[in-house]
Amino acid sequence: MTTQALVQVLASGLLMGLIYALIAVGLSLIFGLMDVVNFAHGEFLMLAMYATFGLVLVTRLDPVVLMPLVAALLFVLGAAAYLGVVRFAMRAKANQGMVQIFATFGLAILLQGAAQYLFTPDYRNVQNTWLGGRTLELGGIFLPWPQLFGAVVSLAAFGGLHLLMSRTDFGRALEATREDQGAVALVGIDRNRVFALGWGLGAALVGLAGAVLAIFYYIHPQVGASFALIAYVTVALGGFGSVAGALVAGIIVGLVEAFTAVILPPALKSIGVYALYLAVVFVRPQGLFGRL
Amino acid sequence: MIRRRELLVGAGALSLASLRGAPARAAAPEVVVGVLYAMSGASAQVGVDARHAIETALDLINNDHDLDLPGAKGVGLAGMGGAKIRLVFADHQADPQKGRAEAERLITQDKVAALVGCYQSAVSATVSATAERYGVPFVCADSSSPSLHRKGLKYFFRPAAHDEMFSTAMFDFLDAQRKRGQTIDSVALFFEDTIYGVDSSTVQRKLAAERGYKLVADVKYKSNSPSLTAEVQQLKTANADVLLPTSYTTDAILLTKTMAELGYKPKSIIAQAAGFSEKVTYDAVGDKLQGLISRGSFSLDLAAKRPMVATVNAMYKARAGRDLNDNSSRQFMAMIVLADALDRAGSTDGQKIRAALAATDIPGNRTVMPWTKVAFGPDGQNVHADPVLLQWIGDKFITVFPESAAVAPAKWPMNA
Repeated sequence: MTTQALVQVLASGLLMGLIYALIAVGLSLIFGLMDVVNFAHGEFLMLAMYATFGLVLVTRLDPVVLMPLVAALLFVLGAAAYLGVVRFAMRAKANQGMVQIFATFGLAILLQGAAQYLFTPDYRNVQNTWLGGRTLELGGIFLPWPQLFGAVVSLAAFGGLHLLMSRTDFGRALEATREDQGAVALVGIDRNRVFALGWGLGAALVGLAGAVLAIFYYIHPQVGASFALIAYVTVALGGFGSVAGALVAGIIVGLVEAFTAVILPPALKSIGVYALYLAVVFVRPQGLFGRL
Repeated sequence: MIRRRELLVGAGALSLASLRGAPARAAAPEVVVGVLYAMSGASAQVGVDARHAIETALDLINNDHDLDLPGAKGVGLAGMGGAKIRLVFADHQADPQKGRAEAERLITQDKVAALVGCYQSAVSATVSATAERYGVPFVCADSSSPSLHRKGLKYFFRPAAHDEMFSTAMFDFLDAQRKRGQTIDSVALFFEDTIYGVDSSTVQRKLAAERGYKLVADVKYKSNSPSLTAEVQQLKTANADVLLPTSYTTDAILLTKTMAELGYKPKSIIAQAAGFSEKVTYDAVGDKLQGLISRGSFSLDLAAKRPMVATVNAMYKARAGRDLNDNSSRQFMAMIVLADALDRAGSTDGQKIRAALAATDIPGNRTVMPWTKVAFGPDGQNVHADPVLLQWIGDKFITVFPESAAVAPAKWPMNA
């Protein structure tokens, strides 16, 4: 393998890894906040992609411009999912964990079915975007602009999230609620409100990822599934609830996937990622940055 | 819950009984046919189009139409006293195990006389085995894996070509290009990891070796992958004279996009249809596929010679909102071939339908395909289903091979 090909694999893995991280961070955030795994996370991503597609069609603006709007829409969706579904699942008297899993899983199936009914199972594609199909070539290394842009958005989102968590009252309220749900009520923090905002924030982050993906990926009611699986692995690898863990794990997953495809036949390329995941589960079950 | 269901079933049975009891409402006899496609999941779009194609055929069979297709003239099946066909659709979600379970349900509960399906070869494999066990004929419309008709099944029938026939046509075409003085030395295989891709690659690997084409890349990839960057990197490094992809729709779109992103323009592409026959692929990335050649069973330009093709296409388009393609045309024909056999069988008995299917002899000009005729060998394969090669030029497919069916010479290489 030439150095050039090696650098190309490294770069592709890194860019894809940053996008995986951006997809996973919302999932991690929600889990960290309230110990609920959102099984509809992939469907949030799918709806974000459809939202981008629809908004491009209606407004004729570029996905890059529409990205904040998509994130805002997903924020509303995330908060609504908490207020309309998860809040009730959390009231279960027995076997709360299972009830939560089935509630979000049911939401996922509902959203998939609704998307297929409303948007048809056709594969959609956002045409004629500023970045779509454009590639930056640096000494024989090809860096697709949509992925480069996605990587920048991902890093910016992680930076912003860090500031939000450490510098604002809302961030402190999130952190406090995650530490002790009972105690925050005593100091006047409305637990439900924080949870709803947390779900909104988690969904908004996946909204950003959806808007980026819509530029270079096909859009389909089931598109979330393959990314969601990687997101779960990423979150488990990085440590449930850890924002920094999601970033590091996303990059690791991207790189391992890219290099496995070079070493093993590409049909087996997920093996590397899952082998790594298993190793982490055995050696460090809380994940790389987990605090459990 | 069970009680409520029992109650419902009971009520249903009662109302059925009362219907049967009323002679004034006695319905015309009907034949039930089970249709298995992925109606949800990543390949739902093909299933939804298949439904439109098979319902178009049903319209022709059950109602009177002035077309020279078997079953089109007259109402219902004449051989069964004008019985109409009723379809029961089942969703196998592209999962071989769900396909098996659904086939069993259709046979035991819905009492279907025959089955039609299933697009994904992996699903057709389990469905054909189930149909065999119950002695119910299975007309395999559009799965092209050659291993399907080599299992010694008695109830398996495939009117369309399989990938050996398709791939042979591809290499015949390459040989013909060589004779014209084109330099074609190397080929690259790119195929998905279920039996459709694996069987296709086995045939292509063998043909490449036999006919002296160097295999410079042999890439088996995981279907529905989030990224194909590493795979495309290998194809790009190999830079074969011809790229031979075997992919369903999602991967076909992603492959094309990734090739463009990594600055790889294959010199030529000859695709094993499937995803590369679907309009949605060309809606998404058609500009990057100008000059792509795909094998096919069908071409709309046949309508110039056979106006019936345009009529059937218009009927399908009214339902589906798109033209017939390689997949939907085969689904349509499967239903027509089955109806023709049901008509001659004059019975819903599995053995009699099997015997009628085995005796099928429909001349090519009574189909919408470029086939010589429909007549099955002992293995249930129609050996007269001549494949064609189509080239994507502008915004449509044009037949370029074999010469007897071609309407224009092929543009070669695709990207000079």
